[in-house]
Amino acid sequence: MTNLSVGAIEALANGSGWNDAVLQLLNIRKIDGGSGPSRFRVMMSDGRHTLSSFMLSTQLNYMAEENILAPNCVCLLKRQVTNMLKDGRRVVIILEIDVLTPADGVSGKIGDPTPYADGQNKGQHPAQVPESRPPLQQQQNRNEVSQPVKRNLKSDFTKKAPSALPDTPGASSKIVPIASLNPYQSKWTIRARVTNKSSIRTWSNARGDGKLFSMEIVDDSGEIRVTGFNQEVDKFHSLIEVGKVYYISKGSLKIANKQYTSVKNDYEMTLNGESSIIPCEDSCDIPMVQCDFVSIGDLENRDKDTIVDVIGVCKSVDEVTRLTTKSNREVSKRTLTLMDMSGKLVTVTLWGEEAETFDGSGQPIVAIKAAKLSDFGGRSLSASFSSTLMINPDIPEAYKLRGWFDKEGHTMEGQSLTEARSGGRFNENWKSLGDVKSEQLGHGDKADYYTCIATIVFLRKENCLYQACPSQDCNKKVVDQQNGMFRCEKCDKEFPNFKYRLILSANIADYADNQWVTCFQESAEAILGQNAAYLGQLKDSNESAFDEIFQQANFNTFIFRNRVKLETYNDESRIKATVMEVKPVDHREYSKRLIVNIRKMGAK
Amino acid sequence: MASILDVPKPRVNCSMLSQFVNRAVCFVGRVEKVHPTGKMFTVKDGDGSSATVELNEPLEEELSGVVEVVGMVSNKGEIMASTYNMLREDKGVPFDLELYNEALKVIHDYPQHYPFQVAASG
Repeated sequence: MTNLSVGAIEALANGSGWNDAVLQLLNIRKIDGGSGPSRFRVMMSDGRHTLSSFMLSTQLNYMAEENILAPNCVCLLKRQVTNMLKDGRRVVIILEIDVLTPADGVSGKIGDPTPYADGQNKGQHPAQVPESRPPLQQQQNRNEVSQPVKRNLKSDFTKKAPSALPDTPGASSKIVPIASLNPYQSKWTIRARVTNKSSIRTWSNARGDGKLFSMEIVDDSGEIRVTGFNQEVDKFHSLIEVGKVYYISKGSLKIANKQYTSVKNDYEMTLNGESSIIPCEDSCDIPMVQCDFVSIGDLENRDKDTIVDVIGVCKSVDEVTRLTTKSNREVSKRTLTLMDMSGKLVTVTLWGEEAETFDGSGQPIVAIKAAKLSDFGGRSLSASFSSTLMINPDIPEAYKLRGWFDKEGHTMEGQSLTEARSGGRFNENWKSLGDVKSEQLGHGDKADYYTCIATIVFLRKENCLYQACPSQDCNKKVVDQQNGMFRCEKCDKEFPNFKYRLILSANIADYADNQWVTCFQESAEAILGQNAAYLGQLKDSNESAFDEIFQQANFNTFIFRNRVKLETYNDESRIKATVMEVKPVDHREYSKRLIVNIRKMGAK
Repeated sequence: MASILDVPKPRVNCSMLSQFVNRAVCFVGRVEKVHPTGKMFTVKDGDGSSATVELNEPLEEELSGVVEVVGMVSNKGEIMASTYNMLREDKGVPFDLELYNEALKVIHDYPQHYPFQVAASG
């Protein structure tokens, strides 16, 4: 008669594992798994306890179907995995099993086993667990953890604790690093901290409506974004607390849509009906938030719309303002100014609730994960819904910065990357005329503005002047009544006089291309070097002097700020370029910019 | 030897003079000190280094501000001036020597894009 491995049921049930357990199979039954293959549930006994939550892995189904596994047979459990269900129950999946004594060779139930209940007999028979042989599951864990993990983030907030060997519930299935997750493996558990959780968002479209939430989770290998829909929103949204650590398993992985996320992972996770999220108490070794801080001084070299992590001292903060968006939604907005050790300042805009609740008193250290870089007014940052705002975070960078600021930084003036709007300097979006075409500026929904240095190559002097309403702010063209009176339709008045105004078509060129542009009054006067009234007078009195002015204006070079927009007349679309401002070239500034550009190109 | 006026005269600053010994150069700098003889003066470039300029004839005018000197570089790294030209600062934008110096470096760092030497060999 075969000896059963007394104590193995308990070891398997509580997750500590048992190698090569000899067990008696007491019962086996088929569970219909709906669409999937059928599964077999098995009750096993070690002579002392029985446990009914054994499952046969599907590749072993034949053993049940061919009656190799039948009630009362004695088996050697060679390989198994203990999985934790959402409700905390454990299931032992049988991966490899041999029958030692077939059912007909056993007289019946061996011993008088009682059903094993979780928590019972705890620590009663510790000596029966062979300590010299670590449980198989743990060996697997160790292998998994020691695998080289690709690190894509530089600064982990906490020191590396010697990795996550399971010591809390749920740890019995494989704990894997986030970085190793992929769509081709489904059997994993991760242990990760939630760093950001969105509010519940709803949608409604032709295919129906629904709701979703997303969160970002991190462990010391990396981060991933997790999204839950509908039922999973109800199930998990209220349960998840930002900053807490959870065991997560059975999520679906798919390729991340980078458009919606700044999380540095090629995959993202969607929660499904199978997914389980279990709080983890022991969490000290999981980093808080992973940030890859960019120095404020370096923001100038980053492209527009880049998502960056920044940390800085909050030098100043504005009052909350409320504004109405295009969709008629009212939002709160607050701007603050951050400074870091580069001595540079940048303006950050907070929105919504964060704008309302932000307290900038005492010049706190502010870290923002995933802020969006904008070229509004030079360089500025915006903290959107996917950004994480942290005030005085408990991280080394914050302490370093605080030390620096208290010692020397507070006396620094600092140089802002964000232009004061009142300064009157427009946001210079330097382009060559070739760039304007190749980048298709003006083809979007909104007009584009750019600044270029270009030379006048042709001025159309025909129809460059018109007779306009003489009233102060009306520049409407007047109709000559042929009786010495001029009528303005807009003012609905007749005047004995009019004023000349300019609308000048010019062809401007730089090294790359040329472009027809329309110049109104001020810009045309700047190009021609004469005012409209004088030009009108010359046109009527001295044609050759009038022509001379246009000749003189040719081949002069200016800084143009232009507005471009695709406009459609009679089914024909063309780019309409209007000069907003003409300024003389500041050669010093121009040379400086060229040298900077040359150096940048040279560095590539 | 061809007249200095017929050969290319690369623009240089003080640090580059040693590479142009026995060759014609064009040097722009701010006049520092004029020697009492009037046949020699020192100029400071945009880097803040000084060079000596020697003239064939004593100066006939008072020299100050930014000058452009064309001449041969001697073994000692002095500029034996053929001509010079004072850049008047009372009109227009004052000459930015530092910026000029940056431009010089660009020219010398990317000779492939500023092929002023090609004419010399041709």
